[in-house]
Amino acid sequence: MATIASMLASTRNPFSCFREPLYPGSRSVVSPRYLEPFGKRIRTIPRFIRACQPLDKVGGDGGVSASAKRYHFGNELLSFASDNFLPLALVTGVSLGFANPTLGCLADKYSLSKFSTCGIFIISGLTLRTEAIGDAVKGWPLGVFGLASILLLTPSFSRLVMLFQLQHQELVTGLGIFCCMPTTLSSGVALTHLAGGNSALALAVTVASNLLGILTIPFWVSRYIAGGVGVSFPTDQLFKSLIVTLLVPLIIGKVIRETFKGFANFVDNNRKLFSRMNAICLSLVPWIQVSRSRSLLLSVEPKVFLAAIGIGILLHLSLLAFNALSIRILSGLSGDYNSKNSKGNGTAVLLVASQKTLPVMVAVVEQLRGAFGEPGLLVLPCVAAHLNQIMIDSILVNVWLRKSNASSADGGSDSEDESDIEEEIQEVQNTDINNRYLQDGSDDDDDTDTKRVIKPTKDKRFEEMTHTVEQMKNAMKINDWVSLQENFDKVNKQLEKVMRITEAVKPPTLYIKTLVMLEDFLNEALANKEAKKKMSPSNSKALNAMRQKLKKNNKTYEDAINKYRETPEVEEEKEPEDEDDDDEEDEDEFEDDDDSKEAVTDDDVDEPADNRWETMLNKKDKQMEKLLSKDPKEITWEWVNQKFKEIMAARGRKGTARFDLVDQLTHLTKIAKTPAQKLEILFSVISAQFDVNPGLTGHMPIKVWKKCVLNMLTILDILVKYNNIVVDDTIEPDENETSKPADYDGTIRVWGNLVAFIERIDTEFFKSLQSIDPHTREYVERLRDEPMFLALAQNIQDYFERMGDYKAAAKVALRRVESIYYKPQEVYEAMRKLAELDEEDEEAEDAEEESGPISSFIVVPEVVPRKPTFPESGRAMMDLLVSLIYRNGDERTKARAMLCDIYHHALMDNFGTARDLLLMSHLQDNIQHMDISTQILFNRTMAQIGLCAFRVGMITESHSCLSELYSGQRVRELLAQGVSQSRYHEKTPEQERLERRRQMPYHMHINLELLEAVHLIGAMLLEVPNMAANSLEARRRVISKNFRRLLEISERQAFNAPPENVRDHVMAATRALTKGDFQTAFEVLNSLDVWRMLKNRDSILEMVKARIKEEALRTYLFTYSSSYESLSLEQLAKMFDVTEAQVHSIVSKMMINEELHASWDQPTRCIVFHEVQHSRLQSLAFQLTEKLSVLAESNERAMEARTGGGGLDLSSRRRDNNQDYAGAAGKWQDNNMNYGQGRQGNNRSGYGGRPGQPRDWSGQNRGGGYAARAGSGNRGGGMQMDGSTRMVSLNRGVRA
Amino acid sequence: MTEIKENYDLTPRVAPNLDRHLVFPILEFLQERQLYPDEQILKFKIELLNKTNMVDYAMDIHKSLYHTEDAPQDMVERRAEVVARLKSLEEAAAPLVTFLLNPSAVQELRADKQYNLQMLKERYQIGPDQIEALYQYAKFQFECGNYSGAADYLYQYRTLCSNLERSLSALWGKLASEILMQNWDIAFEELNRVKDIIDSKSFASPLNQVQNRIWLMHWGLYIFFNHDNGRTQIIDLFNQDKYLNAIQTSAPHLLRYLATAFIVNKRKRPQLKEFIKVIQQEHYSYKDPIVEFLACVFVHYDFDGAQKKMKECEEVIVNDPFLGKRVENGNFSTVPLRDEFLENARLFIFETYCRIHQRIDMGVLAEKLNLNYEEAERWIVNLIRTSKLDAKIDSESGTVIMEPTQPNVHEQLINHTKALSGRTYKLVTQLLEHSQGQAAR
Repeated sequence: MATIASMLASTRNPFSCFREPLYPGSRSVVSPRYLEPFGKRIRTIPRFIRACQPLDKVGGDGGVSASAKRYHFGNELLSFASDNFLPLALVTGVSLGFANPTLGCLADKYSLSKFSTCGIFIISGLTLRTEAIGDAVKGWPLGVFGLASILLLTPSFSRLVMLFQLQHQELVTGLGIFCCMPTTLSSGVALTHLAGGNSALALAVTVASNLLGILTIPFWVSRYIAGGVGVSFPTDQLFKSLIVTLLVPLIIGKVIRETFKGFANFVDNNRKLFSRMNAICLSLVPWIQVSRSRSLLLSVEPKVFLAAIGIGILLHLSLLAFNALSIRILSGLSGDYNSKNSKGNGTAVLLVASQKTLPVMVAVVEQLRGAFGEPGLLVLPCVAAHLNQIMIDSILVNVWLRKSNASSADGGSDSEDESDIEEEIQEVQNTDINNRYLQDGSDDDDDTDTKRVIKPTKDKRFEEMTHTVEQMKNAMKINDWVSLQENFDKVNKQLEKVMRITEAVKPPTLYIKTLVMLEDFLNEALANKEAKKKMSPSNSKALNAMRQKLKKNNKTYEDAINKYRETPEVEEEKEPEDEDDDDEEDEDEFEDDDDSKEAVTDDDVDEPADNRWETMLNKKDKQMEKLLSKDPKEITWEWVNQKFKEIMAARGRKGTARFDLVDQLTHLTKIAKTPAQKLEILFSVISAQFDVNPGLTGHMPIKVWKKCVLNMLTILDILVKYNNIVVDDTIEPDENETSKPADYDGTIRVWGNLVAFIERIDTEFFKSLQSIDPHTREYVERLRDEPMFLALAQNIQDYFERMGDYKAAAKVALRRVESIYYKPQEVYEAMRKLAELDEEDEEAEDAEEESGPISSFIVVPEVVPRKPTFPESGRAMMDLLVSLIYRNGDERTKARAMLCDIYHHALMDNFGTARDLLLMSHLQDNIQHMDISTQILFNRTMAQIGLCAFRVGMITESHSCLSELYSGQRVRELLAQGVSQSRYHEKTPEQERLERRRQMPYHMHINLELLEAVHLIGAMLLEVPNMAANSLEARRRVISKNFRRLLEISERQAFNAPPENVRDHVMAATRALTKGDFQTAFEVLNSLDVWRMLKNRDSILEMVKARIKEEALRTYLFTYSSSYESLSLEQLAKMFDVTEAQVHSIVSKMMINEELHASWDQPTRCIVFHEVQHSRLQSLAFQLTEKLSVLAESNERAMEARTGGGGLDLSSRRRDNNQDYAGAAGKWQDNNMNYGQGRQGNNRSGYGGRPGQPRDWSGQNRGGGYAARAGSGNRGGGMQMDGSTRMVSLNRGVRA
Repeated sequence: MTEIKENYDLTPRVAPNLDRHLVFPILEFLQERQLYPDEQILKFKIELLNKTNMVDYAMDIHKSLYHTEDAPQDMVERRAEVVARLKSLEEAAAPLVTFLLNPSAVQELRADKQYNLQMLKERYQIGPDQIEALYQYAKFQFECGNYSGAADYLYQYRTLCSNLERSLSALWGKLASEILMQNWDIAFEELNRVKDIIDSKSFASPLNQVQNRIWLMHWGLYIFFNHDNGRTQIIDLFNQDKYLNAIQTSAPHLLRYLATAFIVNKRKRPQLKEFIKVIQQEHYSYKDPIVEFLACVFVHYDFDGAQKKMKECEEVIVNDPFLGKRVENGNFSTVPLRDEFLENARLFIFETYCRIHQRIDMGVLAEKLNLNYEEAERWIVNLIRTSKLDAKIDSESGTVIMEPTQPNVHEQLINHTKALSGRTYKLVTQLLEHSQGQAAR
C-alpha cells in the first residue's frame, strides 16, 4: 500500500499516460505546411468582410437608407476615402509633387515610374483570369474597334486641336502630338479594372495599340502636325521599353497566377487590396511627372496654362463622347449576341480608347529634338492632359461604381470585388443594376439605347435544367441509359448552380421530381429482366452505374423524396404502381403463404428503398386493418409466430422502413398469445427501436427512447409476473419455446439480454444529451427524463437481485451510479422531488395511451413500480449501489464505481475519505491500462478532488492534484469538456468524431474557470513565497511550471490592463502578493465571479484570505528580512492583520525550517535576524565543494556500474537513506570523522551532504512541513532533515 | 472532566481487535478507574463470558450483579455441557498428553518434524487425529481460563503440527496465553514469531494481512507497555511502513500509543519527524490529546496550546488501560509513565522553544514549564551543565541567552571536503582490487 505521502505525488502518471494513447501517431498526421494556406484563408475572411463594409455605407451616403445617418462621422469619412480611393490618391500625388518636388525627382531618377507601370501590369497579370481572356476574345469586334479608334480615328482630333491659337503655340502643338499617341499603358487598364470592366480586353487593346502605334505614330505626326515633315522615330527604344514595362510584367503576373493556385485564390479573395495597389501605382505617375516639371509649370503663365488644360479636358471629353457613341452604335449593330460581356467590354474599350499615353509622347518629343519648339513646353500640356484624363476617368469610374452600389444597396448586393469573383451570382443579382449603369453611362455620351434582354440567370438556370430533364425523359422513352447517365450528371451539376443562385437549402422540386421519376424507371428496368438481357452491353453497364449513382445520390435527398412522394402533386404518376400493390395485397389476403414467398423473391430482386417503402406503407395499413378485423378467435399462436417471423425477416433489409417495423411489431405484441411470445416480440420491438437511428453519431429520437423505456418496463412486468420465464442470451431457444402457455410449469427460456438493453438505453440518453444544445429548453426537458431511466434501472437491478444474477445487477447498478455520482446533494434533492412529482403526469399519459383502440390479449398489470425510489441523501444511495458493485462487479465495473464513489466523496467535501479511497484502490497505478472513458472519469475525479482539497483549505494537496491536469494546455480534452485545437497536429475527422463521442454532456461539466482559478490560486500561494525565498536561484525549485510561465508572460507586458479573465486576476493578485500587499491581492481574487459557483463561498473566501495573509507575511519576510535587524511581533501582526499567535507560529515554523535565519527575542517580543552573508569567495568555495562531491559520487557510481555488485544494492541503500534521513544527517559529523569505517557511511554522508548543504547558506530552503508532500524525492527528505539537525544536537548528550 | 475521559476512552475501538479473554484486563482497569457505572461493566463482562467456557466466573459475576444466590438456568446447563465436552476432549487427547508428560519419551523427539510424526505413529500409535485433538484440547483449556496449560499444549502442538494455518492459530493462542499470564519476555518472543509469519506469509487478500497486523499491534500493546524494552519495540514495530499504513487505514487510534512512545522514548527522536507528517495527514480522522500535543509543538509551534494539551494528556494517560499502569509504591500508587511523559513533554517544549529564541525571560520560562522561578533556574543550569543546552543565564536581567549556533564557514568547508579524500582512496582500492581480481582470473 502506498503511503499517503506518496499518493499525491504519484498522481501524475495517469494524466501523462492518457495523453499518449489518445492519439497514436497524431504527431505525424499533417505537416504544418499543409496547414498554412488553410490558416491564411481563415484569416483573410474577416478582411474580406471588412472590404465590403464601406460600400454598404456608401449606399447610405447616397441617401438610400436613412439608417446610414447613424453612422459616425469618422466612419463616413473613412468610407468616403476608401470609396474614392483613386481620385484621392491622384490628387494627393499631384499636390505632393507640387509641394515637394525633390522626392518626386528622386523617384524619377530611379525610374520609379517604370516600376509603377511594371507593378500595374504585374497586378493586371495576377488578376487576369483565363476566362477573362476568353471573354476578351469573344469581345473582339469591340477590341478591333478600340484599336481602330486609337490608332486611326483619334489622331484626327489633333487637327481640331491645332485650330486653337495660344500664346505659346508649343502648348497646342504638344497636345496635338498627344492626340496621335496610342493608349496609356497604365491608367487605362487600371481604371478598367477598377470599374469592373473587361480588363483583359483593355489589356489586349493596350498592348496591341502600343505595339502598332510604333508604326503609326510617325505617320500621323508627320501628317497632322509637321505637315508632311518626316519625323524620325525611336522605334527600337520604344519597342524595348514597351516590352519591358508592359509585356514582361504582364506575363510574369499571369505565370505566377497560374503556377500557384493558392496565390490565385488569395488574389481573388483580395481584389480590393489589389485595386488599391493598382491605384497607388497609378497615382505615382502624376506625382513623378508633376515633380519633374514643376519648375517649368511655374514659368508658364497660369492663364495660358489653364487654357491649355482646358483644351486638354475638352479633348478628352470629346474623345470619350466619340468613343462611347461609336461603341453604342457598334453594339447596337451587333445585337445582343454577347450580352453578358458587352458591358465589360464596352467599359474597357471606352476607357482605353479615350486615353493617350504620356511616356511615348515624351519619348517622341525627345526624339524630335526641338523641332516644334521647347520640349518642356510641348510636354507640359500633355502632362496636364494626362493628369486630366486620369482624373476624369477615375471620377467617371467612381460615379459608375457609386451608381451601381446605390441601386444595389437595397438588393443586398455584394461589393464589386465579389462580382468579379462570383460572376454568376453577381450577374443574377445585378442584372438590372448593370443595365442601369449602362444607361447612366450613355446619358453622358449619347442616347442610343442598347436593346438587350437580360434574362435573370435564375430563370435561365431553371430553363436549362428543365431542358435537361426533358432530354432525360426522352432518353427514358427509348430506354437509352447512356444518355440518361450523362444527363443525370448534367442535372446534378446544374442543380449545384441553381442552389447557389437561389441560395436555397432545399433542392428544387423539379429536381426531386426527376429523381423520383428516375428511380421508378430504374426499378422498372431492373424488374424487367428480359429487357435487361436484351440490352446492349454499354447500355446495361450504364444502367448498373446509374443504379449505384442514384442510390448514393438519393440518400442525400431522402427526406425530400419521401415528402414529395406523399404530396398529392405526383399522384397521377403513382397510380399504376398503387394498383399493382393492391393486387398483391389481394393475393395476400387469400393465401398467407404467398407473403413469405414474396419475401423470398424480394431477397433476390434487389429492390431499392423507396419503392419498397411505398408498398410497405400500404401493406402495413392493410395488415393492420386485417389484424383488427380478424376475429380474435382465429388468431392462433402459430399465426402470430409466423407473422412475427415474416416481419423479423424484413428487418435490416434495405427496403424496410424502420419505424414501420416498430409499429408492426408493437401491434403484434398486442395480439401475442402467450406471455413468452409477447416477451419475445417485445425484445424485438426494442431492438428495432434501437435500429431506428443508424450510425453512431446521432442519437435515438426522444419519443422512441421513451417508448423504449416503457417497453422495457412492460418486459419487466411480464418477467415479474411469470417468474418461470427466464431471459438468457447464451442458449439458442427452442423454436416453440414461446408457445408454452402462461400456466406452464417449467421454465421458459426466451432469448434476450436485459443488461445490454439497459446499457444501450443509457448510452442513447447520454448521446442525446451530448447532441442537444445545453442552452435550450429541450435540454432541460431531456434531463427530466432521467428519473424515468433510473426507475427502469432500479427495477431491472431489483429483478436481477431477485434472480440471483448479481453480476448483471452490478452492471446495472454501475449505470445508476454513473447517473448520480456527479450530483451534489442539492441537485439530487431536486431530482428526487421531480421524480415524485412526475408520477402524476406520467399516470395521466399512461391512461391516454391505454385507451388505445385495441386491448391486448395478454394484459399485464403494472407490477413494477414506475417511479424510482430515492434514499434521503445521494451519499446513502451511492453507498448502497457501490457496495453492491464492490461485492459483485467485474474489474472495470468496480474501478468505475470506485472512481464515481471517490468523485462523490470529493463533491461532498470529504477530502480524507476520497483520498484514502483513491490510494487504497491503487487506481492511479493502472489507470493507464484502462479504456479512455474510464481515464476521463479518472481525470474528472482528480479535478474534483483538487477542488475539494481547495474547499477544505488544503492548498498543497489541491495544487498537486491539479497541476498535472494543467501541465499541458489540454484541460478541456482531458476532462472531455470540449475539443482543444492544437496548432501542431491536425486531427483526422475520425479522431475528431471519436473525441466528440467522448464529450461529457453539459450538466456534468466541471466548471473550467473555477478549476483554473483554484489551480492558479493554489500555485500562487505556493509559488510566491517560494520565489521570494529563492530569489537568487529562481530556477532552482519550481513548484508550478505552468504558473511560472504565465507569470513571465504577464511580466513581459509593458502595460497591465485591468484583469479580465481568471488568469489576469491571479496574475494581478500575484503582483500584489509579491510586494506583500495582501489586501489588494485578496480584493482582486475576491472580484472573480467564479466564486459564486461555490456552495459555502464565504468560508472559502475567508480561508483564501487567511492563506493569502500568511503567504504575504512569509513573502515579506523572505524579501525584506535582509533589511531588518529586528522586527517586532506586534508590528508584523498589525501589518498583515493577523493575530500575534499566528504570526508567532508562522515565523517559528520558518525559523525551525531554516527558511529564515532569525530567532525570537522573547522579552522584547522581537524577531532578531542573523544575516549570514557569505563573501563571494566563500560562496564560490561552497559551490566548488558541492561540485566536488558530485564528482566523487559520480565516480563511485561509475565504479559500481563497472564492478557490477552495486546497482540494486546501492539503490536500496539510497532508499534506506531517505527513510531515516534525519538519523543520517544527525550522524553526519560523526561519519565524517571516521570515514574510514566503511563505504556505507561515506556514501551516506556524500549523499546526504548535498541536499543538506543549502541550509548553511542564506536560507534558500523551503522547509519540511511544506515540502513534505510536494517533494517526495531525495530533496524532500533533505529538507525535513534540516529541521531536525539542531534538535539532535541538543540531545547529543543523551545519545552519548 | 468525565466527558474527556469518555471521549478519549479507546476501549470500544480497541476491544473488537482483541481476544475475548484479553478484554478482561481492560474491563478490570475500567472498573477500577470507575469511568463507567459498575453495573454496566459487569453486564458487559457476563456477555463477554457467555461465549467462553469460564462459566463459573460468569456465575460469580451474575451473582454479584443481581445480588442473588441462584445462577440462571442456562448457565448451569452450559456448565454441564462444558464439563462434558472437557471430558471428551481430554480422552481424545489423552495418548498424546501422556506421551508428552513422559520426559524420557519427549527426549526422543528430534528437530525433524517428519521423523517425529513417523516415530509417534509407529511407536505410540499417535496419529494426526490425536494431534488435532491436542489442539482442540488446548483451545478448550484456554477457553476455560487455564492459560498456562493451554500455552504448554500449544507449544507442543506446534512442534508436531504440519498444518501452517493451524500452526499460526496455535501461535496466536500461545501469545494470548502468555500475555494473560503476564510472561512478557516469552510473550514478546511469541509476538515476533507471529510478526515474522504475518510478514512472510502470502495472504489471500491484502486486506486479510492488514487485519492480521492490526490484531498483532493491538495484542502487542499489552506487551509493549509492560516489557522493559517495550517502548523502543513499539516504535520499531509500529513505525514500519507496513504497520503504519495499517494504522492509518484501519486503526488510527493506535497513533496515541505510538505518539506516547515517541514522546517518552528519547532514542527514537530521529524518526519523530516522519511520524509528525503522519500525524498531520491523519489529524482529520483521529483526534487525541497526545497526538495533538505533538502537533502543537512540532507543527504549529503553539506553546500555550501545548501547555493545555499536556494537562489533557495527563488525564488520558491515567485513564488508559495500557498507559495508566500503576505501580504500588509503599502506600501510594503512581503512574510511572505519566511522570515520564510529563518530563519529556516539558523537555520537548523547552527544546523547541529554545531553538527559535535568542533570549528568554526566566519568569516566562518558568511559567511555561510549570515550575517556579528557582526550580526553573536550577533546571536550566542543569541542562547547561550536562551540555544539553548551549546557553547562558543572565541573572541581572533575569533572562536566558542562547548561544548563537552559526556554523563557521571554514568548518563547513572542511566538513564538506573531508570525506572526499577518503572516498577517493576507497574508490582507488576498490578499483585496484577489481583489476587484480580480473588479472588473476
